[in-house]
Amino acid sequence: MGSPFDINGGACVAMVGKDCVAIACDLRLGMQALTISNNFPKVFNYAPSTYLGLTGLATDVNTVSDLLRYKVNMYRLREERNIAPQTLANLVSSSLYEKRFGPFFVSPVLAGINETTGKPFICGFDSIGCIDFAKDFIVSGTASEQLFGTCEGLWEPDMEPEDLFETISQALLAAVDRDALSGWGAQVWIIEKDKVTQRLLKGRQD
Amino acid sequence: MTSLLGHPAGGEGIGYSFSQPTAAPVKQHGFYPYTDNGGSTLGITGSDFAILAGDTRSTSGYNINSRMVPKVFKIGGDDETGEGAHIVLSVVGFAADGNALKERLDAVVKMYKYQHGKPMSVSACAQRLSTILYQKRFFPYYVTAILSGLDEEGKGALYSYDPVGSYEREQCRAAGAAASLIMPFLDNQVNFKNQYIPGSGEGHALEQKKAEPLPQATVEQLVRDAFTSAVERHIEVGDHLQMMIITRDGIQEVFHPLKKD
Amino acid sequence: MDHFPGTWGRPRNDVYGAYDPTYLQTTGPKTHTSSPAVTGTSVIGVKFNGGVVLATDNLASYGSLARFTDVKRLRVFGDNAVVGFGGDVSDMQYIDRLLESIDIRENYSTHGNMLNAKNLHTYLAKVFYKRRSEFNPLWNHVLVAGFDVDGKPFLSSADLLGTTFSAPHLATGFGAHLAVPILRRRFPEEMPIEEITREEAVSALKDCLKVLFYRDARSIDKYSIAVITKEGIDLKEDEQIEGQSWAFAERIRGYGRQTN
Repeated sequence: MGSPFDINGGACVAMVGKDCVAIACDLRLGMQALTISNNFPKVFNYAPSTYLGLTGLATDVNTVSDLLRYKVNMYRLREERNIAPQTLANLVSSSLYEKRFGPFFVSPVLAGINETTGKPFICGFDSIGCIDFAKDFIVSGTASEQLFGTCEGLWEPDMEPEDLFETISQALLAAVDRDALSGWGAQVWIIEKDKVTQRLLKGRQD
Repeated sequence: MTSLLGHPAGGEGIGYSFSQPTAAPVKQHGFYPYTDNGGSTLGITGSDFAILAGDTRSTSGYNINSRMVPKVFKIGGDDETGEGAHIVLSVVGFAADGNALKERLDAVVKMYKYQHGKPMSVSACAQRLSTILYQKRFFPYYVTAILSGLDEEGKGALYSYDPVGSYEREQCRAAGAAASLIMPFLDNQVNFKNQYIPGSGEGHALEQKKAEPLPQATVEQLVRDAFTSAVERHIEVGDHLQMMIITRDGIQEVFHPLKKD
Repeated sequence: MDHFPGTWGRPRNDVYGAYDPTYLQTTGPKTHTSSPAVTGTSVIGVKFNGGVVLATDNLASYGSLARFTDVKRLRVFGDNAVVGFGGDVSDMQYIDRLLESIDIRENYSTHGNMLNAKNLHTYLAKVFYKRRSEFNPLWNHVLVAGFDVDGKPFLSSADLLGTTFSAPHLATGFGAHLAVPILRRRFPEEMPIEEITREEAVSALKDCLKVLFYRDARSIDKYSIAVITKEGIDLKEDEQIEGQSWAFAERIRGYGRQTN
């Protein structure tokens, strides 16, 4: 059997624009080459303008997303405020490192806008919580190589929300079409200061 | 007593601390006839031209062998410089096999010209290259080849291969270490995959943007963008970009610097 | 008491295991080199404004044993071409005989033009590639130095797989890790070779050999160095690495005289 990261397939990407961020994922869930579902979103919401994408082993995607929902809910009850993206990043990191020698097989991607500073924030993680702070984009999943190529080619600094949507969508769709384990439609979130737009993309169904 | 032949009887051996390792299994070291020299190549065709490009870095493992080892070759030229050639071949993978393949094909195309008194067509050369690769089906040339030139109508022609000779004519193709990074970018920017014409229909009934041959300047820029992107994210790609631009006036070879880190 | 004189003076079977006679077998399937036996370590080379310098040390190792300490690993071919050999020494001697026979044949031929270093490199690369394709490799990594057809300095590498590449400075084996960074710092690749003098090139190689002697356990401080110019080859085969500094050893436990 192959790597646990490649059994179910899936792709996720986050990008920074001008006062906005975007996060997108494909919708496939598979078992090796067999597609089980074409409605398996991998991006989860943890605060009004903070989203987390999880690719990798689907069971761990569910476990980690639920675990973080629990932890973020506890945070909100205790602090009586929403969690900031930077705080969530550290929470994700420490939660993953807790399982250093028996990790969750996930590669998280975080995107959000800090409510107090108004600054966009994205970052990525490896499965044991090493944070990758990036100024441009973060990719993960079985199509990560393809995503690196498309994002590096299409992304440019200071894009407006509409341009950012088009760029992240084209980058994701082009990438997953060259990956047998990802695709079957996509979901995109464009996060602005006080507004989040969610869009469902039709992709190739093969 | 030490026996003359064979091992001592079990349990009778003396207790030297270093007498243990003799039980270690005999290790076989095999000879592996291949290596990967990294790098990437890319070809795009237009209505009256074709461009084949590759980086010039040669690697073995994490070492850079040299920053100037071209992967794109003129085939069937009149002299060592390739002057007079009208077909271009790029090879990426195991460089020694790549060179051997290049020289085989070069000889074949030259012999064709001497025997038939006319240059070999690109389609004929493409078929021949497939045969050469398949002849070594059970000890393959470990390379991904791309062959390019102009077809009988003067249109850009490009053929891509796998190591054992499967081939196909295409509009564009990336090969080598960064193929997985470059190819989806090309799908999107050359064949306009996933691009729709705004206002051409309601919802999912939108009409797809048709792929049409691009102008030479656009293609050159796309090739350079594809490589600068690949260099950024792949350690085996870099140093220089070598581009062969094939038009009816001949083959123009240009080099551009890439990042050397 | 062991009453069998045939076993006297041999490693005891009960200690070292039975003697493995397989390598002496004359029957059975044809066997090929699957690993090198007696080996030479790095070869290093640099181009300069009038030619090329090539250097190796004079050691041939048998595994970790410094077996032969006076082996010449730079071989001259013709009037201005030198081959530096790394890897299996017996294969080096085979190739040397091969090159000698070519040299003699070429000298007796009527055309009068001699093979230059570039031709020699092409030939060697093809010999290596042919042998690797027969699964019977010549276990070497060589540098070829001299001049090309246009009389420009030439330096190129070929290895047991037939892989070839050329650069203003090259090194094989350990030298690729230790010598190349030193050479790249002294002579940046964008620096034209017209700006590199013979003296600079020679002193750079000497420094590289010293670093290799310090850190490559399969090296020795006796070396050969060849300077190839239009005037001919200046080959010195009995040199000694000079200016070694072992002052640091005094402070390292287990290295100098300190025992605890």
